[in-house]
Amino acid sequence: MIRAFASGLRVHLVQLLRSPFDIIGMLVWPIIFASIAYYLIGVDGSPGLLLSASLGAAVMMMWSQVIVGSGFALDNQRIQGTLELLVAAPVPLAVLFAPIMIASAMFGLYGLLVTLVWGRFAFGIPFRIDDPVAFAAATGSSIVAIGLLGMIAASTFVLYRAAFYLGVALQYPVYIACGLIVPFSVLPGWLDPISWLLAPTWGLRGLREAALGGDPWPDIGVCLLLSAAYFVIAVPCLWGFERLARGRATLKLA
Amino acid sequence: MAAIEVDGVSRTFRSRPGLFKRRTIEVEALRDVSFSIEAGELFGLLGPNGAGKTTTIKILTTLLLPTSGSARVLGFDPASQPTKVRPLIGYVFGGDRGLYDRLSGLDNLGYFADVYRVPVRSKAARIDELLELVGLRGRERERVETYSRGMKQRLHIARGLLHDPPVLFLDEPTIGLDPVGARELRETVATLRDAGKTILLTTHYMFEADALCGRVAVIAGGRIVAQGTPSLLKAGIADRTVIEVEAYGVDDAALDRIRALEGVSAVTVEARDQAQAILVQSRLGAQLIQPLLNLLDGVSVSSVTAREPTLEDAYVELVGRE
Repeated sequence: MIRAFASGLRVHLVQLLRSPFDIIGMLVWPIIFASIAYYLIGVDGSPGLLLSASLGAAVMMMWSQVIVGSGFALDNQRIQGTLELLVAAPVPLAVLFAPIMIASAMFGLYGLLVTLVWGRFAFGIPFRIDDPVAFAAATGSSIVAIGLLGMIAASTFVLYRAAFYLGVALQYPVYIACGLIVPFSVLPGWLDPISWLLAPTWGLRGLREAALGGDPWPDIGVCLLLSAAYFVIAVPCLWGFERLARGRATLKLA
Repeated sequence: MAAIEVDGVSRTFRSRPGLFKRRTIEVEALRDVSFSIEAGELFGLLGPNGAGKTTTIKILTTLLLPTSGSARVLGFDPASQPTKVRPLIGYVFGGDRGLYDRLSGLDNLGYFADVYRVPVRSKAARIDELLELVGLRGRERERVETYSRGMKQRLHIARGLLHDPPVLFLDEPTIGLDPVGARELRETVATLRDAGKTILLTTHYMFEADALCGRVAVIAGGRIVAQGTPSLLKAGIADRTVIEVEAYGVDDAALDRIRALEGVSAVTVEARDQAQAILVQSRLGAQLIQPLLNLLDGVSVSSVTAREPTLEDAYVELVGRE
């Protein structure tokens, strides 16, 4: 299973890196996200606040890449006829889907880099990481957690051909609920419990703490715990939706 | 024990088009289908488009649940025991889908070898052996998107064989291939049959089934209308002669007149470049030629031949009854 996972990660990353459409999107999106974040904070914001906004934009990228990019990737699997082959494989579907999600989130790494570089050169946001080791750990744990959160949504993609649009619809509510666009302080209190259940909240906190000087390890720990929880939820969801898809004949496009 | 058993399987597809006043449309794709395939046998499932061939294969390969009835693959139920069935089967479908186009052939095989649990020690040797078998050695590092349809089809076969499954499902594997590519693929299938694999092959090329299959079943409108050896099916119309008339500009009215002719049991038309080949089945033999030509008065006829029926003629007769 580990081999199938690792091989899947490599294959799906290579697929993404060979797609001109994805590469162009990846170049343009971070610039738009970082620019919006910069103008939301304002030009007179503190350097720390601006870097924090840049990191928020990077996590937005990761989430978008997972929820929209992976939906697109799974839709492509259906169109190119490989979805049926993955379902018919002896390895559990969760082991085959997780690399697609995580590869999409990893692609968001590229977005993180572009966001930070754009922020530095276009807006003069300082690019200084207080604890590089913790920053790397926060990045890794965010990728895994956000990827596996996407896998729960992806289980519906197996059943519904139009589930791709569900991913598009889920982009913005998560940006807001996780404090990626505006600070939690301006959000209603009832959103707090929802944000605690979402990986981007803790991913951003970990990255922010590691970059600006703080203790990111509890946030990294929560990311890893959430990853395990997401996986435990995603496995039966995938199993159930696969069974429904076999009943309703929705694995194939035509 | 049979390697594959299908017992009274039916499958109904339901769809609800529209947004308001939605109505349910039901299509009975399979109706009480039963057959069995012995271990090491190459069994052909023949039928026109939409007859239910692919639906049958999808049920047996665990991708679709039957509405009723049951099936067994090497003793396991594909509906309720998919994890037992999946390691034992290989599934190859026709066309150029089912591959990662931006990856090389080698990368595709490498990935599917991991997905289908090919032991890591034998993975490279197995891929090499299969590249040799399907004639893709030397091209394996090129991206699949640069492959011809025939090459993609051969890569499919290699993918389906990676884990050396005892049972293979080949769903119209030669569809869309050029004659040389199709012949090479048939040779590969014959090699697999000789190696003792149990194979279910679907096709609508009768000569393919005649050349490869020990037994065949003809499916039409979701029902099995006949099954047995190709010779047995041909024997069903052995008392008939097929008169083949090659002509130009035969209209529907003329065809209807031929169909109404006494002693004619089936009429089909094939396009051959600018000409039409009218195939007329009859028990009257060569006596029918003159009445036929009388009906085609005014039509340009280039040749008329009488021959013994083939499996294709038997198929036309069986499918035509549905």
